[in-house]
Amino acid sequence: MFKEKIKYAFYTIGHPMDGFYEIRHRGRGSVVLSLLFVLLFGICFSANRQYAGFVVNFINPMSINSFAEILSVFVLFLLFCVGNWSITCLMNGEGRFKDIVTVTGYSMLPMILTFVPAIIFSRFVVADEEAFYYILMGLGIAWFVMLVLTGIMTVHNYTLGKTLLTMIFTFVAMLIIIFLAMLLYSLISQVVSFFTSIYNELMLRV
Amino acid sequence: MRKRMTGLFKGMSVAFCVFALCLTDFGSLTAHAGQNVPYETYTYDYYEDIKYTPAAYVPDGAVNGEQIGCGSFLSPQDLNTDEDGNVYIADTGNNRIVVTDPSFRLVKIVDSFLNEDGEEDHFSSPNGVYVSSNGNLYVADTGKLRVVELDGDGNLVQIIQNPKSDVLEDGYVFTPLKVAVDYADRVYVIAQNQFEGIMAFDEVGEFIGFTGTINVQITPWEIFWRRFSTREQRARQQLFIPTEFTGMEIDQDGFVYATNVDSEGEQSVRRLNPSGEDVIQQQSIALSGDLTWRLSGTYSGASRIVDVVVRGKGIYSILDSSRGRIFTYDHEGNLLYIFGGLGSQEGTFTTPVAIDTIGEEILVLDSNKNLIDKFSATNYGSLINQAVGLRYDGDETQAVECWREVLKLDSNFELAYVGIGKSYLASGQNKEAMNCFKIGNNKQYYSIAYKRYRNEILKENLNFILTALIVIVVLVIVWKKAGKKFVSKKLQERRMSHV
Repeated sequence: MFKEKIKYAFYTIGHPMDGFYEIRHRGRGSVVLSLLFVLLFGICFSANRQYAGFVVNFINPMSINSFAEILSVFVLFLLFCVGNWSITCLMNGEGRFKDIVTVTGYSMLPMILTFVPAIIFSRFVVADEEAFYYILMGLGIAWFVMLVLTGIMTVHNYTLGKTLLTMIFTFVAMLIIIFLAMLLYSLISQVVSFFTSIYNELMLRV
Repeated sequence: MRKRMTGLFKGMSVAFCVFALCLTDFGSLTAHAGQNVPYETYTYDYYEDIKYTPAAYVPDGAVNGEQIGCGSFLSPQDLNTDEDGNVYIADTGNNRIVVTDPSFRLVKIVDSFLNEDGEEDHFSSPNGVYVSSNGNLYVADTGKLRVVELDGDGNLVQIIQNPKSDVLEDGYVFTPLKVAVDYADRVYVIAQNQFEGIMAFDEVGEFIGFTGTINVQITPWEIFWRRFSTREQRARQQLFIPTEFTGMEIDQDGFVYATNVDSEGEQSVRRLNPSGEDVIQQQSIALSGDLTWRLSGTYSGASRIVDVVVRGKGIYSILDSSRGRIFTYDHEGNLLYIFGGLGSQEGTFTTPVAIDTIGEEILVLDSNKNLIDKFSATNYGSLINQAVGLRYDGDETQAVECWREVLKLDSNFELAYVGIGKSYLASGQNKEAMNCFKIGNNKQYYSIAYKRYRNEILKENLNFILTALIVIVVLVIVWKKAGKKFVSKKLQERRMSHV
């Protein structure tokens, strides 16, 4: 069963229109698999920072933190899904939250498939040859963007124009969510510090 | 009693251990703490992180006017040394030029000369002083709006004032601040409120034109905002004018090194060729002092570079007045070492205005403390100078010895690894070279070394690789054929079973 789903994911990245349609309407996708792809992409993303060849790697090794990088991939993924869901709910989108998660996760598969060979290849390149590395990476990213667009378009039954519009709104929604989260954080921290100081006053003064 | 003795012994042995630890631990830090240097010495690595290094230069006393024997200075603004190491100080507040020998014994005080009419003439707040290669003294006599050239005996050669040209607006007031002279006796003058560039004069004092004009860069964002602002708003906005030059020096090739104030911290030193173009070499780091700084509060903002000294072999140092630091670069624009600081201790500055050298010794003029701070190179500093000098002369093999010594004192020094890597590369030790370039973060040379190493490996294993390739091809063919046979056999079996 799971093997079938994995096979179907590979079919989907080659045939996004049909693939995502079946995922939406015939339940051929898997949220677990989608989350697995996100995790794998997080690992690839971090591996690229750490293990890409010296010639193409401009990252300060002191700044690498695999856990934080994988986590930030997950946070961005979640933010995008929530943002897109909240916008498409208002704009007559037919997709469920589950479908958005599946589409976004499945779309990351091409990046996993190109990042790994690109990282291995980058360890054997010299100057002037690094273009292949960048082409490979760019290919994966372009494929990802294409898949996300088609996927969102298909599961919500949108036109391309409306998809692009919802994408812009999605980014705005993401910014608003970040803003609200920060606001909430600062408010909560103030409340916490208020109660800690009351506690301290009571314990030390009274 | 016995117990007491052992206790005592224990205490003593512990004390001894601590003492020994002190000796071994802090003995190795002599370059850092032992010399009581009142500032940090550091450099920026490839990732633009600060890396603290042993002291490259340490304070070596200060000289004031009384010690020279000419009475105290008053707000001196410029300092220059000639080829013999004689020091010329523009003692601005006292309206005089003080000349001393290399060990700061007074040679003479120049405060007056006989002008064209044979009358005695005095300087008025001279801000700049320069000695040409033939020993003539040039004084930027700011208060009297002129540049005065005197020969070695103090006789007037010429006065440059009131330049006339089509490119200068009518009623332009020529207010020279700094002056420099090249081997062809061309005179370069930095004038107050002259944003067009450095003013160049020929040997008879005729104005030739501007050199080293800094172009104003307006970002699209600023253009966008200006379009939407009203005329009144535009009038109140900051004017887009180029920055002013602050100091200059001529190198032995006749190129002008000039510093300017750059609040963005992108480029504060230029090397101008005779046609006024900037030909300075730059690596990935900005030639503008500190790469990172606080955005507000004390000690904030980009370095304010006020003067430059050309130190031979392509090495030059620039002086930052905002944090009192001296930044030294090689001819390729690599940062070598940074030292100095603000303060009131000996070896720190309050208002550093000019920098120059006598041999390896660095002199910095402080216009508020009214004295000259001297700095002498440590072993670490002079090793770097030596290695960079040898590399500049193309003597890379000898430089390697120096680089190895540098690494013993500071194992973070990236340039040293690159230097050693180059020698490995030259002798064909590609693997070692790769390693060095990797530590030294030089991708360009790493690439060369790796390419050679890769070819080497390929050549050595060519037979093996070709054999493996043939074997794989044969295997694939055999596999396919066998597979077909197998499949057809299965099909037959299936048909048989159906039947």
